[in-house]
Amino acid sequence: MSKAARQRSARERLAEERKKQALKQQRMRRLMITLSGLVVVALAVVITVYFVNKKDSSAYTGALAPTTRQADGAILASKPGAKAPKLELFEDFQCPICHEFENASSATIKRLAAEGKVNVLYYPFWLFKQQAEPIRGNSQRAANAALCAPADKWIQYHDVIYKHQPAEGSNGFSNKDLIGWAKDLGFDTPQFEQCVNGGQKQSQLDSMTNYAEQTRQVTGTPTVFLNGKSLDLNGTLLNAKNLEKAILAAQPVDISPSPSSSGSPTPPSGGSKSPSATPKK
Amino acid sequence: MTAVKGGPRKGGPPSLRPAREWREWVTLVVRIALAAILGTAGYAKFSEAEGLQKVAVSSYRILPQSVVGPVALGLPVLEMALAALILIGFATRTMAICVGVLFIVFIAGIISVWARGLTIDCGCFGGGGQVAKGQTHYLREIFRDLGFLVLAAWLMVFPRGKLALDRWLGL
Repeated sequence: MSKAARQRSARERLAEERKKQALKQQRMRRLMITLSGLVVVALAVVITVYFVNKKDSSAYTGALAPTTRQADGAILASKPGAKAPKLELFEDFQCPICHEFENASSATIKRLAAEGKVNVLYYPFWLFKQQAEPIRGNSQRAANAALCAPADKWIQYHDVIYKHQPAEGSNGFSNKDLIGWAKDLGFDTPQFEQCVNGGQKQSQLDSMTNYAEQTRQVTGTPTVFLNGKSLDLNGTLLNAKNLEKAILAAQPVDISPSPSSSGSPTPPSGGSKSPSATPKK
Repeated sequence: MTAVKGGPRKGGPPSLRPAREWREWVTLVVRIALAAILGTAGYAKFSEAEGLQKVAVSSYRILPQSVVGPVALGLPVLEMALAALILIGFATRTMAICVGVLFIVFIAGIISVWARGLTIDCGCFGGGGQVAKGQTHYLREIFRDLGFLVLAAWLMVFPRGKLALDRWLGL
């Protein structure tokens, strides 16, 4: 081999080596970019989940406003003599968004009711009577039991029922469980058990359902009226701060005539946006 | 999808350039489109009340209750983060693969819900949860996601594009 040939092959080898090196670097760089991209995405997700999950709305532990049962079956939570706006809650115990509404806002509602800043009327009804079976029956049994429960323990019982809401599509709210929770709260009586097992409040449940759907035009739950005006779900009902603002800005009204007989009630169209359209001061 | 329609490829280096140039512009457009879709979907969910997000996820009846919360909170952020990185063109191919997998998961979820006879809204752009019997749009939702999957697939095959951070970093 001539000297020139040897030199050339050495040069070639060197060039090849350099090329290999460059390729390796390129691969390394690609790997680093890929990894850092994945890390950025993962971090963003994990941090958000961690922080948002942490702020759990604490349960309300203060005193409750006294509760009484109205002639139509609704439960009124009202501080005696309170002149306050009227909040009407139309709920189905099997409705998942009602459960979320409870989680988000029930503490605020209870506190404001206890302070005499709002009078609350609870209207459990049977929204899911057209649904397929486990949902239909779960909803029916829970509403019946709630109507059987005494007024003075009603809020506690209502909370326990929501706490045990079965996942959509699975069985739950068995009469045995509904009676067991009453036992835990200390109001289990033979009459109550008969009322639950016999579905004795069915006719009242039907008339409340009729009232909700026909008279008040409630087509979904939760539907909540503040002084007769349906509140927006996303912005107000599921946002306790906004709900409190809306309640505090509303005018006191008389609670006794429970159906808003004046004119047509505002239909609960999901479109109604901000709750700021409260009556003039 | 990989067929190059525009650039006449006569063979030989001079005509190769325009074809490649053209593809890089397409990649940029696809990146912007995909980022807009993902970003909108993520933000629509993100700006909703937490309760609604959870209801949307649990209505699929696939995940156990304990996982629903983290998924409901994490998914919108995941979508927005992927959208941001795809928009700036960072680790484009990897991100496109992630997006593709995500869409496949979504499509599988919708098919599963459909097959089980549930009646829900997919909640793809916020909303979600139970709907009345005649109110489902599963086929439309699946085809829409398939369309998005095609965009992601383009980026997997042709990640090199204009105005990409990848280029600036020497990828």
